[in-house]
Amino acid sequence: MAGIRLENINKKFGKTEVLHQVNLEIGDGEFVVLVGPSGCGKSTLLRLVAGLEDITAGNIFIGDALMNRIEPQHRNIAMVFQNYALYPHKNVRENIIFGLKRAHAPKDVIESRLSKVVNILGLEDFLARKPAQLSGGQRQRVAMGRALVRDAKVFLFDEPLSNLDAKLRNQMRSEIRRIHREYQTTSVYVTHDQVEAMTLGERVVVIRDGYIEQQGTPMEIYLHPDNIFVATFIGAPSMNILDARLFDGYVELEGCKLVMENGTPGQHRELPKTGLPVKLGIRPDFFIDRRHAGDGEALAVIHNARIDLIEPLGFDKELDVQIGSQLMKVRLDLRTQATEGDTIDLCVDMRRTHLFDIDTGQRLQ
Amino acid sequence: MLGKRTWVENGLLAAAIFVVVAFCLFPFVQILSTSLKHQFDWGNPSLIPVKLNWNAYGELLGIRSAEQVDVPDSVKRLLENPSISESQRRKILDRYQTTSDVFPFLRYFLNTFMLSASAAAVSLCLSVFGAYALSRLRFTGQTVIQRSILFVYMVGGVLLMVPLYQMSVKIGLAKSVGGSLVSLLLIYIIQTLPVSLYMLGNYFRTIPYALEEAAAMDGCSRVEAVFVIIIPLSVPMLMTVFVYCFIIAWNEFLFASVFLKQFHQWHTLPLALQTLFMSKNAIWDRIMAASMLTMIPVVVCFLFAMRNLTGGLAEGGVKE
Ligand SMILES: Nc1ncnc2c1ncn2[C@@H]1O[C@H](COP(=O)(O)OP(=O)(O)OP(=O)(O)O)[C@@H](O)[C@H]1O
Ligand SMILES: [Mg+2]
Repeated sequence: MAGIRLENINKKFGKTEVLHQVNLEIGDGEFVVLVGPSGCGKSTLLRLVAGLEDITAGNIFIGDALMNRIEPQHRNIAMVFQNYALYPHKNVRENIIFGLKRAHAPKDVIESRLSKVVNILGLEDFLARKPAQLSGGQRQRVAMGRALVRDAKVFLFDEPLSNLDAKLRNQMRSEIRRIHREYQTTSVYVTHDQVEAMTLGERVVVIRDGYIEQQGTPMEIYLHPDNIFVATFIGAPSMNILDARLFDGYVELEGCKLVMENGTPGQHRELPKTGLPVKLGIRPDFFIDRRHAGDGEALAVIHNARIDLIEPLGFDKELDVQIGSQLMKVRLDLRTQATEGDTIDLCVDMRRTHLFDIDTGQRLQ
Repeated sequence: MLGKRTWVENGLLAAAIFVVVAFCLFPFVQILSTSLKHQFDWGNPSLIPVKLNWNAYGELLGIRSAEQVDVPDSVKRLLENPSISESQRRKILDRYQTTSDVFPFLRYFLNTFMLSASAAAVSLCLSVFGAYALSRLRFTGQTVIQRSILFVYMVGGVLLMVPLYQMSVKIGLAKSVGGSLVSLLLIYIIQTLPVSLYMLGNYFRTIPYALEEAAAMDGCSRVEAVFVIIIPLSVPMLMTVFVYCFIIAWNEFLFASVFLKQFHQWHTLPLALQTLFMSKNAIWDRIMAASMLTMIPVVVCFLFAMRNLTGGLAEGGVKE
């Protein structure tokens, strides 16, 4: 086992630069999730670590060894490919144990590891089949098995659960966690599913257009996003970003004065008389119906929000709400009686909201 | 449109197909028929022999000894000429009566087989790696190489015969049997390589590169990946290429006729057939039987190749 260190990684395909000055340190035994929209360079980053692509500039270390010039087959990495890449002429069993056989693992080790992995992945019935005779989800599980069975220094997962149904995906997620807890193998896991990122990662790295936007524990990223992109990308439904004005000690949103208990961010700046235009970020989950708000908390109130649409989700209701000229999503629990067309007073804890610079999208400090 | 043909259309289509197939097959049927006819039957236009005659096959395969050829009347009259000395007379008679050189079919068969099989094997090995390089690797001069390979194929044949023979004379290969055979082997390999490279290269391109990446993750070097992934997945195409090379070499006449002219023992079947046609042993049933026997391996190869042309071995490995 070993950690991974990326130093100033640059990757160009021809003239297009796909990764820019990426610095990332992954501790020994850590489980890191790379998350970002499609095409942001997650797979590319993974393939650089695997050695399947050459880096344009920068250094990659695994453990303390510089990997830049090490062939992929000598890096002792197991990888789950986004497109499975199973050996079509080998059956499931042969596919899974191929790597162990190449490494000349003893027979009994091969057998015990195989049966364990097969058991976890529920592949018992398919061992003799060829990949062409499997469904997409089954193939994906074989691809997982082929990696998990190995005794590798590093596991790389490229969207390994994308083809599974919701139930199987949940189940596999917990299995991956369990396996990681047991083997403690350094793992890098790529996904564009932010739920997966939140539940799996010890650390989440948010990538956009080849830049690392933010990294931290799932909760850090959720509660303290550095910029609008991260704020809206992580969390579902995504954070409302509203036009507001910042004054000393409060934010004015569509005529409502939302007082901030722990002071004004960006206090060092000169605030104009008419207020500083800012973006106010509020997660839909952090609204409370005023009627159900407790007394003790110091909550800001948004008056007279008009309800456009209500979607009951069981325990929650998701509301499309209009305040002034702006739309936002609100999630309230099932006690809320309001119906479409009503107006409602919403409370929000200003410590859970975020102010972003209107130009750069960065959070105001 | 599909499945909407009337029976009239179906009938016409079938008839048309029949005509075309019959037209193509007729020469072969003619060969087979003549090879099985007795001499008295040769002029008979019917394709079915009056009485089956297996003698020619028997002779060629060495199962029965060759029939003596009757000395033609013209020659008999010539021999009666008193001005011919006794030794000359014997010489002439000998030419007609010895049967040793009728057509040692098995010998020629083996010659041809060894030559074709080794040419095909070497060509296949070279083209596996060549095609892999051309389809997977990026190197300077790649396009030039790729183009010039096809160029070699387009030039080929008669144009190169004289220079190639001169070359092999100059370096001393053409002097000995071994040297000549080696030259011929090289020529066959070079002649078949372009198409082999082309066929295999195109096939390799259909095998997803991700499979090799997966093999690399499992600890295979590039060359190992060729052996454990590419080759097993290409078996049908490899066989097809082998058969193609084999057939080309098997039927080749031009170069063999030049390079093996002096080495009768090492003649290949096409050469031997040609010699047979020209010799006094050129009896129709024998010629036709020899042609038939020459053709059979080709047909067998072809059927074999057809069976292997079912693709789809590489399916199911990657998500499309
Ligand atoms: N071989 C290549 N040549 C040129 N451009 C490439 C190549 N591979 C990837 N790219 C580009 O690099 C960018 C990042 O690709 P990458 O596959 O890493 O995205 P990703 O984050 O994995 O996306 P997804 O979630 O859709 O898998 C994309 O814009 C893509 O077009
Ligand atoms: Mg990807």
